[in-house]
Amino acid sequence: MNFAIHLALGCAMLLASFAASAQAQVVRIGVAMPISGPGSYFGVQDKEGIELALEQFKGGINGYKLQVQYEDSACSPLQATNTVKRLLDQFQPHIVIGEECSDASLAIAPILNDAKIVQLNVGSVTMKLTESGYKYTFRIFPNAEQQSLPLAKVAYNTLKARTAVILHEKTNAGNDNAEGFKKPFEAMGGKVLATIDFGRDVNDFTAIATRIASLGKVDVLPTFALEGQQVRLSQALAQAKVVKGGGGNGVQMGSIWLPFGYDQKAGQAAVGYVRIVQFDPTEKRKVVQDFIKAYQAKYGADKTPTHINAHAYDAILLIAEAVRRGAKDSESIREQFSKFKDVEVTTGRITFDQKGQNSDLSVVHFVETQQDLSWKGMSWQ
Amino acid sequence: MSDLAALVVQQSLNGVYLGCLYVMVALGLTLIYGVLNQINFAHADFVTVGAFTAFFTATRLATKVLGLPDAAGYLLSIFAAFGIGALLGLAVNAAVFAPLRERGDELRPLIATIGVSVLLENAQLALFGPIPYQFDSPFARETIRVGRIFFSAQSVLVVAVSAVAIGALYAFLRFTFLGKALRAVAQDRETAGLMGINPGLLIGLTIVIASALAGMAGALLGPVLVLSPFAGASVIVKAFAIVIIGGFGNLQGTIIAGIFVGIIEAFTVQYLGSGLIDLVVFVLLLAMLVIRPTGLIAERKEENV
Amino acid sequence: MRRAAYLFGAAAIVALLPWLITTPYWRGILILCAMNVLLALSLNLVMGYTGQLNLGQSAFFAIGAYASTILVKTYGWNFWLASLAAIGGAGFLGLALAAFAVRLRGHYLAIASLGFAVITYQVLVNWERVTEGVRGIYGILPPVRNAVALFYLIAAIALIVYFVLDNLVRSPIGDTLRAIREDEVSAASLGVNGAIWKAFAFGVGAAIAGLAGCFYPGFVGTLVPDAFNIVESFTMMAMVIVGGMGTMIGPVIGAIVLTFLPELLRGFGELRLMIYGAALTLVVLFMPGGIVQAWSTLRARSR
Repeated sequence: MNFAIHLALGCAMLLASFAASAQAQVVRIGVAMPISGPGSYFGVQDKEGIELALEQFKGGINGYKLQVQYEDSACSPLQATNTVKRLLDQFQPHIVIGEECSDASLAIAPILNDAKIVQLNVGSVTMKLTESGYKYTFRIFPNAEQQSLPLAKVAYNTLKARTAVILHEKTNAGNDNAEGFKKPFEAMGGKVLATIDFGRDVNDFTAIATRIASLGKVDVLPTFALEGQQVRLSQALAQAKVVKGGGGNGVQMGSIWLPFGYDQKAGQAAVGYVRIVQFDPTEKRKVVQDFIKAYQAKYGADKTPTHINAHAYDAILLIAEAVRRGAKDSESIREQFSKFKDVEVTTGRITFDQKGQNSDLSVVHFVETQQDLSWKGMSWQ
Repeated sequence: MSDLAALVVQQSLNGVYLGCLYVMVALGLTLIYGVLNQINFAHADFVTVGAFTAFFTATRLATKVLGLPDAAGYLLSIFAAFGIGALLGLAVNAAVFAPLRERGDELRPLIATIGVSVLLENAQLALFGPIPYQFDSPFARETIRVGRIFFSAQSVLVVAVSAVAIGALYAFLRFTFLGKALRAVAQDRETAGLMGINPGLLIGLTIVIASALAGMAGALLGPVLVLSPFAGASVIVKAFAIVIIGGFGNLQGTIIAGIFVGIIEAFTVQYLGSGLIDLVVFVLLLAMLVIRPTGLIAERKEENV
Repeated sequence: MRRAAYLFGAAAIVALLPWLITTPYWRGILILCAMNVLLALSLNLVMGYTGQLNLGQSAFFAIGAYASTILVKTYGWNFWLASLAAIGGAGFLGLALAAFAVRLRGHYLAIASLGFAVITYQVLVNWERVTEGVRGIYGILPPVRNAVALFYLIAAIALIVYFVLDNLVRSPIGDTLRAIREDEVSAASLGVNGAIWKAFAFGVGAAIAGLAGCFYPGFVGTLVPDAFNIVESFTMMAMVIVGGMGTMIGPVIGAIVLTFLPELLRGFGELRLMIYGAALTLVVLFMPGGIVQAWSTLRARSR
């Protein structure tokens, strides 16, 4: 009797362990990105980066394969909430990459944290994401303060600017970045002549440029908007002779939002534009050059990857690295992430601080657009 | 010229330019409304299609295939957009408006055009992707300066083309037989039918003209807009407001309202803030409805009891 | 008698649903569906029964959501009191809109409502001190934490509203509204005061939309103005028309179909919205009276 029971138990345990190990050979990655609507600007590029990275890890890591499921969160808190619930129900991911828009990222953070699933954010700017005590949320994208503070410092100390006009899109990200510039700049003694916000549906900036021209001497114009609007804005500012590119005196300043190739699109108007960049395709680091080669091989030799591609690509790199170090589910991924120090990716090195924010900005540097529309790296900081 | 005077003149010019852009979009809407009593929600997407048509014509077809200089290429693209707009209007009329016309209901075509709008927008998204295209017409790059006032050659082109289009439309409606027949149908469809005019044909014609105008507006707007499949949506709400302020179906009213809204927008940006543009325009609209419900230039419309 | 049977049947189905649909995701969609049913019913009263083209229903939905949330979060009110206040506010604004538009007819009223919706949206975006604008309000809790309980709550309210509205349209008031829909001038000649009854319909419709709005922020947890842009009004209108305008059950069906359809199409990834747009167009083209009419035509044919 005893023997039979032991045998049965033994077989059962053996079978169970087979089943468990057959299941555990996959690390499931949910991706909540805007695939429809205007937010698809991000979603399409994110997907490119993720797909490229997945190809490189096709063979698996430590016997674990990476499996991805995409859901359309459309940059809206309602849809993001629904799609994350859907992912949790149907896919049971170990980690979710999401979202791009700050509102949506903030909406899904509590759900993922309650479910004890890691949230890896690669595109939101809002400070609240890492200031709300979420233990499972990690972000590699620089937050508003990390982006705007260096701009304010360089504006005041290096460019000797004393007056500024801040231009930003009317979104969470735009607002936060604008605040992040305004506070330190004014604290240092600068004067913000105007803070001009505009919706994402504004196309013609001539009226805004005219208004700025009427404000008097403007030294710097920090701008926080997406490339489409920034091109029109730069051109209007040049036309109104407000910025250097048009023969004026003001220096346009910007953040990592603008992709490589922006200057070619904006033309002469972009001359003299000073901004910080994180992903720099001219960087000599092997990881960056390999990424560009792989990207061009897959998507076309005439295209250069943008920082959005790069961040999404890095997300997979980080997950793969965590798995390589022994992670296989949400808890172990979280543990590995919190221990990350100087993990190298295309957008720099990753060290997550206690709040889950990447605190390593060593790669971030200033560039200035030259007359021939190329970037010149500046060694300011 | 004093600072303030220069500023006022500049913003007024900006406003007129903006206004002309809006008028181009609103013209088609008001035409359709005047003849059909219909609001076409897909109008915005026609504008976007026009813009993309112009983009590809100017940058691929004209310069690479035909070897035309930039300026000629851009002008050609305006015609191309006009044509494609007309075709699109033909298609949508045949598929949506004509079949629903008999039933006499006003709401279903409205919802149908919403469906068409969603379809068009997402089809363009699938075809062109969400990343904005860089459409720079050679005219947009040229800035003309008169003292302290500046404007781009593009704005001159826009105003010129708008004027020509409006003039042509006006002449068509006033002096040609087809035009008069169209006005007859707008006034009273049944009686017009009794007079031997084929209302169905004329309504179809109206939609084609309106869509062609939308396409052309897209070509003019292309170098101004952020060109993506969502471009049309950014101008459509204001275009509606203009159609209403000007008086549904009223051509002169729409033009005046359009320029008026453009100027309001420029001055709102100057003194209040661009975030408030929509608010100001729509408060104005509501005020208009209270003071003069039939629009800026009242048209006498009789109610049949 | 039959009506009572139908109502009990509906209540029974509603009670059963959370046990048939057990995953958090689909239960969430059920809750959303219940809210949409309320919205469709509210719009149907104004459009279907009173014949007023209302393009701005999303504004009342927004007012319900924001007013209740702000009262709870900033002023510490109790959820139920805050909701009552929000509903009252929405209803009052509905009355105001109707009073404003009393002289306007047909499309002018439609545009006034559209203007109202745009202005409401702009106020929500710009009045940052009160609404937080585009930054959004976070950490909003629903009145009952359990998803099933929340669904029962909203569904029960929807059933009650349906019952009340059903009685309303069968009463002489319903006849009055229908008279206004058919021919306002003739109705006036019969002594019907069009202005008062239009205001009534608008007010009640707005209040119900506000009621639905009270539950929305708690469900999502986050409140941003973008949830109430003009597109939402059109989606509501589509629900009413696709279901069958001017009937009571039509909007309910429309709400159910148009809530579940985009979710069911999620498997199609990038084609999802194209299919949705095509489906919407086709339904409107081929089913004039909406699903309700198509259904009764089918039944008539099969006899």
